[in-house]
Amino acid sequence: MITNTKCECGHQNPVGTVLCEACGKPQHEEPGGNSSELLEMRYDGVARRSQRANPNFIDKIWNFFSSVKVAVYLISITLVGAMLGTVFTQETMFINIDPSVYYKQKYGTIGEIYYLLGLSDTYNSWWFILLLVMIGASLVICSLDRVLPLYRALSKQKIRKHMQFLTRQRVVYQGPISGHGEEWVQQAIAPLKKKGYRVHTDGAALLAEKQRFSRWGPYVIHIGLIVFLLAVLFRGLPGLHMDEHYWFTEGEITPIPDTNYYLKNEKFTVEYYTEDEMSEEFRQRGKAVPKLFETKAVLYKCVDNCNNPLEEPELVEVDRHNIRVNDPLNYKGFQAYQFDFEETAEIRSVSPTLVDQETGEHYGKFTLRMNDPETEYDVGPYHLKLKDKYLDFDLDENKKPITKSGEPNAPAFLFTITGPGLPEDGGQFIYFPYLEQQKFFGQDKLNEALGGVNNKLRFDLLAMEDVDFIRSKSYLNIRIDRAMPFVWTGLGIVMLGLIMGFYWQHRRIWLRVDGDVLTLGGHTTKNWFGMRREVSSFLKSMGIEVDEKSLDNGGNRS
Amino acid sequence: MGRARRPVQIIILTLIVILGGYAIGTAVFGGEKGRPQAGDNPPAFNLRGLDGQVHNLEKYQGKALVINFWATWCTYCVSEMPALQTQWEKWQDKDVVILGINTGEDDLTVTNFVKQTGVDFPILFDKNKEIVAKYGVVPMPTTFFVNKRGKITSIHQGELDLKTLNQQIDSLVNSR
Repeated sequence: MITNTKCECGHQNPVGTVLCEACGKPQHEEPGGNSSELLEMRYDGVARRSQRANPNFIDKIWNFFSSVKVAVYLISITLVGAMLGTVFTQETMFINIDPSVYYKQKYGTIGEIYYLLGLSDTYNSWWFILLLVMIGASLVICSLDRVLPLYRALSKQKIRKHMQFLTRQRVVYQGPISGHGEEWVQQAIAPLKKKGYRVHTDGAALLAEKQRFSRWGPYVIHIGLIVFLLAVLFRGLPGLHMDEHYWFTEGEITPIPDTNYYLKNEKFTVEYYTEDEMSEEFRQRGKAVPKLFETKAVLYKCVDNCNNPLEEPELVEVDRHNIRVNDPLNYKGFQAYQFDFEETAEIRSVSPTLVDQETGEHYGKFTLRMNDPETEYDVGPYHLKLKDKYLDFDLDENKKPITKSGEPNAPAFLFTITGPGLPEDGGQFIYFPYLEQQKFFGQDKLNEALGGVNNKLRFDLLAMEDVDFIRSKSYLNIRIDRAMPFVWTGLGIVMLGLIMGFYWQHRRIWLRVDGDVLTLGGHTTKNWFGMRREVSSFLKSMGIEVDEKSLDNGGNRS
Repeated sequence: MGRARRPVQIIILTLIVILGGYAIGTAVFGGEKGRPQAGDNPPAFNLRGLDGQVHNLEKYQGKALVINFWATWCTYCVSEMPALQTQWEKWQDKDVVILGINTGEDDLTVTNFVKQTGVDFPILFDKNKEIVAKYGVVPMPTTFFVNKRGKITSIHQGELDLKTLNQQIDSLVNSR
């Protein structure tokens, strides 16, 4: 079917045009009909770009996404989906759970159904992402389909409009004038310009227009939303996003996997509420409640030998912050949040003094690390060679020393000592840094059995400073979100679009003089009250007294 | 009017399909997270060996790998060592490499252990337990079998005896 889309003014309009692109005459009304209904001025009555007489497959997909109705449905479905995701705590909020049992245990059958429906990870589910992608497609296509024709229509407006176009606006004035039409129009230019309008004339017709840019507000919002959506969807690209939890031992520089950063927990502090500070309820529970926990953190960046396990990495301090709950370290998108802590009493190193059992002479001190200790020590006249190390000492069924686990529960060190008063090939000496374990495992007995040293020497920890304890470990949540700047940019663009559309209105006044009758039509995107006031004040300056309210041509919504 | 419209439509729709497909794909297949499964690429590592050399996957490209995570305090790891050593001797000419990744122990401890047991396949140090976490190893020992094309063919948790190990390596060498 071929529809005739030519207007009576001679302009050839595309399929789907509501108001003639040139003269503004309504296109889809009974010929000869004399409707006085208000005109639909949306998009200035131009056809959407993709409207076609015979759509093919691609057009059909395009038209689907081009529809605002579809967009509203998509947004509604997404909203409902997003709501479902707030019913129970999402999987991503936990560090270590098995979701297949957790939801059933915690919430019962409903929880199990919730999990089985995949709602326990709503925001990462394929259907939620698909909805977001579809909204994105709809944003792009809807905007393109409308903004281009609208731009075209607004940039080549015909000044002389069809009579119906004027009389069916929402702000209308019709009345007699005295004098020549063209002269009257020329006189009207000055007062309109004073009100900030840009004025174009064509004989006895005039078009005054202002703040057209506010029409682009919605499309600017859409661009911002697209940037936002892209940032959110592609957060998962490698290197853009990280959300992990690691332990940081006090006093140690810990590498952070998959990054170039190292973090030192210089000092961890925890303060508890005193009895008087606590509420009755808490006091009864008798639990210690932390008031403050803080990690004094130093962030280092590796600059050399970063991926060379044979060399020590070269580190440069880049940031320093006291991390507290809700007060993370933040360095160029790298964030470390206080998450948890653990108080320990683990030995990091000891500095025992080698003492002669017989004379009581002190030969000197040496430092013994629990992890990766040196293997040779020279103390006074004696040479100590570390032969073996047991992190969690025990004896197996054959009375052979073994390490029971990977935890430093009972470190023990086996030395061969050579020096004065000892056999040529040295004596064996086992040492437990924890005093209570020396008794528990019978250090002296073991040494007697090993032989060689024959009770001549002992290791003594003489002062508190000789023991370096790891007092605590801090558990930090390490987050990297390099997509955030894009999210903020997107939101900034949205804000700009909102301001453009909110605080300005596109106002237009058309008028034509036929003989001695003036016909005026006015249109604004909002604030009709202001529009009528402006028109009435303009007419007043032209010597026509007219009540603001009488300009209202119905459809009064504002 | 509208001459350039069709190509623009096609370009935009294609872009949406590609970007959208990627976004949905990463959501469904979990992106980078999760422990490796059979069929995946083994996670990369760059570790110091007992021999003082750097060992990584690139070094062993084109070879079948048996990656064994162990520790001296793990009795099952200790008891499967002889089996690994035997198979290493048997298969090393056929482009099979056995890598023993020690999890978080000292040089001294590992050196003593290797001396005692006499194993001579490459032993690697994972001092920060970073690689063991990347491979998602929970019980020790865990052994990953990686074929010559660099794909994990199977993951074995627990002690391996000589026979199963032999079968596994045999199918690894023959797998394509």
